[in-house]
Amino acid sequence: MAHAGLSTGFRDGDPDAVRAVYREYGRLVYAVAYRVLGDRGLAEEATQQTFVKAWKAAASFDAERELGPWLVAIARRVAIDVSRREAVRAADPLDSVAPGHPALTSTPESAEAVYDVWEVRRALDELPPEEQDIVRLQHFRGYTHVEIAERLDLPVGTIKSRSFRAHKRLAALLGHLREE
Amino acid sequence: MSASDEDRIAYLAGEPVESLTSEERAELDELRGLLEADEMWAQPPAELEDRVVAAIADAAGTAEAPEPARAPRPQQFATPVQPAEVRRAARDAEAREPRQAPAPRPAPSPQAARVVKKPRRERSWVMTILERPAYAFGVLAVLVAVVAGITALSNSGGGSPSPAPLQFAMVVNGTSLAPGAHGSATLTKMSSGWQVELSASGLPHLTNGRYYQAWLKNSAGVLVPIGTFNDAVKVTLWSGVPVTQFRTLSVTRQEANGNPASSGERVLIGTIKNSG
Repeated sequence: MAHAGLSTGFRDGDPDAVRAVYREYGRLVYAVAYRVLGDRGLAEEATQQTFVKAWKAAASFDAERELGPWLVAIARRVAIDVSRREAVRAADPLDSVAPGHPALTSTPESAEAVYDVWEVRRALDELPPEEQDIVRLQHFRGYTHVEIAERLDLPVGTIKSRSFRAHKRLAALLGHLREE
Repeated sequence: MSASDEDRIAYLAGEPVESLTSEERAELDELRGLLEADEMWAQPPAELEDRVVAAIADAAGTAEAPEPARAPRPQQFATPVQPAEVRRAARDAEAREPRQAPAPRPAPSPQAARVVKKPRRERSWVMTILERPAYAFGVLAVLVAVVAGITALSNSGGGSPSPAPLQFAMVVNGTSLAPGAHGSATLTKMSSGWQVELSASGLPHLTNGRYYQAWLKNSAGVLVPIGTFNDAVKVTLWSGVPVTQFRTLSVTRQEANGNPASSGERVLIGTIKNSG
């Protein structure tokens, strides 16, 4: 997590500190924006806007506090603004659905879901690479343990043990964060 | 009765576990749903870092100096005397963003409190794992169980686990072409794909070369057909693409005229709003 000095540097606009904060939180901000917007290009735009807005508001930020929760709130708000802007744009060309039809109303994810994304993504980032691979292949790609073993050219038993270890670590990481 | 910690971890890892309550399954399914989501694994492009730094440098330069090319001196931003534009921007951002920050503990406003408290309640199983008085022994038990489980699975020939199905539900509404139509759909992850059970009323039975076709669409607008039918009272469709990414379900009226593309005559539409 970013320490107070880094937060201060970011608040002061030090380019090195900005880069450091981006490297610490950029992927998480991007994940939150992507969650709300469901589009990589828009998520990039929202991520950029988030950091600029954060910098603009940084004078009011208490450098003793953690930067992450503050950034996720900004990311959420920026993404919702982008989502609303895009919703207005997207309503025009639709041929068969009346504008404003409730079925087309795009409601961004709730703040709770966004915060979940932030925490789970952060926990995933803390997994060792080999365990992160297993979790990604299992959940995101939908592979079975046997398929993962074939893909990684490892024994099925190794995959299973890594999977258990990864999920146990994941639960512990999430629990630890929640106990703070 | 609450399931053991190791059962929860096993379920999270995709093992078939019978002892979980429906509430516990729902909590874990929510986390599993997040783990399946594209945003959990997507990486921003490498050049985004440079764009962010440049954008902040631009903002700093615009705020501080009339010459855009001038090197930014953002440390002035934090001084008490700021250009009016920067003060306005900071005040606006402060008014909108920081007061909504989901800080882990403090609850300065009802809205912030909601943001903080809800996830804590939703993931209480994690808290439970770590808060139980017998946690120290639980950890040991989990380790033993994991080793035993691995051994047992290895000895059993290494058959792949069959995770409990992940399921989503959505409401579908009629468009202006079928304003009286409405219904719902349940989307269940199966080993062979996603099973989409659609049930809708208010749509006429189509025959004589006319039919309905269902589609899933992702955020990029890519349409994937998932089946054709004559009426939507109760129909089972199958998708080979994940509904976690292709979140919008639509139904069009089609004609068997040799053109398999969407007619654009949408009569039903719905979107998965939340996972779990």
